[in-house]
Amino acid sequence: MLTFIAKRVVSGAILLLVICALAYTLLFFSGTNIARNLAGDQATEEQVAYRAQELGLDRPLVERFFSWLASAASGDLGTSWFTAQPVTATIGDRLPVTLVIVTVSILLTALVAAAIGVAAAVRGGWVDRAVQVGSIAGDIVPNFVLALALVIIFAINLDVFPAVSTIAPGAPPSVWIASLTLPVIAIVISAVTGSTQQFRSAVLAQLEKEYVRTLRSRGIGEGEILFAHVLKNAAPAGLTVLSLQFIGMLGGVVIVEKIFSIPGIGSTAVSATSQSDIPVIMGVVIATVIIVIIVNLLVDIANGWLNPKVRVS
Amino acid sequence: MTFRKLAAAALLVPALALASCSGGDGAAEGASDPSADGDGATLRIGTSGTLPSWASEDAHVGHTLFPYQAPYDSLIRRDENGELQPMLATSWEYDETRTALTLELRDDVTFSDGAAFDADAVKANLEHFQQDALRQASQLAALDSVEVVDAATVVLHLTDPDPAFEFNLSQAAGLMASPDSVGTPEADTVPVGSGPYVMSESETVAGTQVVFTAREDYWAPELQEFERVEFRILDETSARLNALQSGQIDVTILDATTIDQAEGAGFEIVDDYQVDWHGLILMDRDGDLNPALGDVNVRQAINYAVDREALVEQNERGHGTATAQPFGPESGAYVEELDERYPHDPEKARELLAEAGYADGVTISVPLVPGWDAMHAALRQQLSEANITLESVPAQMANIFGDIGQQKLEIFYFNFFQSEPWVNVQQLLAENTLYNPFETADPELTALIEELQAAPDGDSIAQEINEYVVENAWFVPLYRLDQVVAYDSDAIDVVKQPQQAFPSMYNFTPAA
Repeated sequence: MLTFIAKRVVSGAILLLVICALAYTLLFFSGTNIARNLAGDQATEEQVAYRAQELGLDRPLVERFFSWLASAASGDLGTSWFTAQPVTATIGDRLPVTLVIVTVSILLTALVAAAIGVAAAVRGGWVDRAVQVGSIAGDIVPNFVLALALVIIFAINLDVFPAVSTIAPGAPPSVWIASLTLPVIAIVISAVTGSTQQFRSAVLAQLEKEYVRTLRSRGIGEGEILFAHVLKNAAPAGLTVLSLQFIGMLGGVVIVEKIFSIPGIGSTAVSATSQSDIPVIMGVVIATVIIVIIVNLLVDIANGWLNPKVRVS
Repeated sequence: MTFRKLAAAALLVPALALASCSGGDGAAEGASDPSADGDGATLRIGTSGTLPSWASEDAHVGHTLFPYQAPYDSLIRRDENGELQPMLATSWEYDETRTALTLELRDDVTFSDGAAFDADAVKANLEHFQQDALRQASQLAALDSVEVVDAATVVLHLTDPDPAFEFNLSQAAGLMASPDSVGTPEADTVPVGSGPYVMSESETVAGTQVVFTAREDYWAPELQEFERVEFRILDETSARLNALQSGQIDVTILDATTIDQAEGAGFEIVDDYQVDWHGLILMDRDGDLNPALGDVNVRQAINYAVDREALVEQNERGHGTATAQPFGPESGAYVEELDERYPHDPEKARELLAEAGYADGVTISVPLVPGWDAMHAALRQQLSEANITLESVPAQMANIFGDIGQQKLEIFYFNFFQSEPWVNVQQLLAENTLYNPFETADPELTALIEELQAAPDGDSIAQEINEYVVENAWFVPLYRLDQVVAYDSDAIDVVKQPQQAFPSMYNFTPAA
């Protein structure tokens, strides 16, 4: 198991390095005249050139990348070109907010989607049909529409939650809960409709297997078959779905963060990208890639724990 | 045992659920509850973007001026009628050559770090703005040297007369920071000025909310109407409207698409308020990229081909005023008749094209910047009726100013600031300005510009300049855009500020 983890960590580090190099190069070739943006539309060419020199934009790409990489490796991700804030501080402030949203959302999604999916698979009949229809309906409504509907109902009309986030670093839990309830609901509703189908299929696939028939023929109760055998075998598929959902949520949370003005990594990524704030973009890239690598690693470990065959392969 | 398998997903959590909710000081809770602020009134503003920094050197025009008025005073204050009033400077006077401006300064003002405001502070600030190729350098381009006469007197020597110089001292270029903070990295996060409010660092979160509290013993209490001023940074128009409707902010900037919703919800709109004009700059008017644009008939044809009234209705839901001139009513350059110089007349447009030798029509290319799609489609359709084909070139806002400077674009459309005549001349018409990238010049116009520069009160010359550029169709102005500043009149009163996208800090008062 340790070798397995070590191998994944090394390949993760290589992946991180490759993605950083690619991202840096692509940003370089996006052709954006950052110095001009920073200097303002009334600046003269000399002022623009001064800014370019100040930011080191006049140095060759390879040289800039390696000097960035050297600082990044020592934990210094530089300073935002547009807000003068250290990138590590920005990521440190904003990443926890996004992680809380995504983690709470994925947990709720797992519980709700598993319960509904299993119910649909086991009960069948009208329950199954209702779940199918519900899933399709949920898929059709984009989560930003849901988010806006929630704002109008619960923030503006009923005034029980804030319409835009009031989270600041150091804010007490009550503020976090008040600010994140509506965004999490919006994300979970969308995610549940997607995951339920996967859970349902995974359970159904197990129920049709030979071993279930064998167990039944031995007179073992349906409850025990389901919880002791079927779910254990269906769990890896469910976990994989959830890990994909998690990674998807990291991207999807952007829109929800924008609607609720949540100071998370998603809204940071959007504003940094629109300004070509390369230090911040690179910081977001690193943070996101590391999270994705960790999530995949944890899923692999969990699958290995549930199913020893995985460890061998 | 039963639920263990499904709960395996919970394995993902321990590593990820960071301990983010450490006990706080409750500041954020207070911020969401206006009644929790004690006796004094609180002003809560929903702003539309993150400021580059709080250093005075990063203040600019439009939305990037008014927040800086909380921590910084300016040398001259521009009041709600657009008149220049004393502030840190009690009086100012030019010599007869209009190249030496003597300022008399207040002697009872200190900065929030305790340093005294005096002539040396003025020198330090102005020389800083000037030196480092910063944003204000263009506003101070005419400044040659700063002469300290005594602690309360300073003479600003100019290389050439600059009719907008006093105006600029009422804008970003006149903001005064403590000499000890000027140019330091600390000034980026914590402003040190002599202004009515001081930043509350413990409650301020970069990029999210910035909190100021009233400064004790401020020298001009009449400009200090609130106990607290909070800026909530909300990039999205819908988020700003939602925050206003749910009572989290008192005032914010919206747009034409949300004005009806805000009014329907009972909010006041600061009315009769126009700052920008929306339209096209026909930059390639020498015909370098597109020879057709070098012909004044073609440029006029484009002006005749657009239906301005229809665009105001379609794109702004009627919240704008059609115009064919780039100068605004509040500037001395305004000529009322020019608003209707080019009535919608596709027939006339085709005649002019034929006269220019383009009877079969012309094709011009326009950068298609995200967010302008609706306007683009409308223009395309209107121009096609006059045989003018609008070809869209996909463009990114992040690259656009670079592309303009490198002479890659024939035409550009955008919102342009309507300011004092000389400011607009410098921004749109001068040979070395970004928006005149092909450096188009004409002896007649150059002479007028030189005349305006030397004239103490040059309204009639400014009007001639306006007539020249309208007649020569340097632009296709479409309309002046209504500024939509919405506020909760139960909490505050707001007075508009001419030529400023968001009212000055001094124009807000608690509701009576």
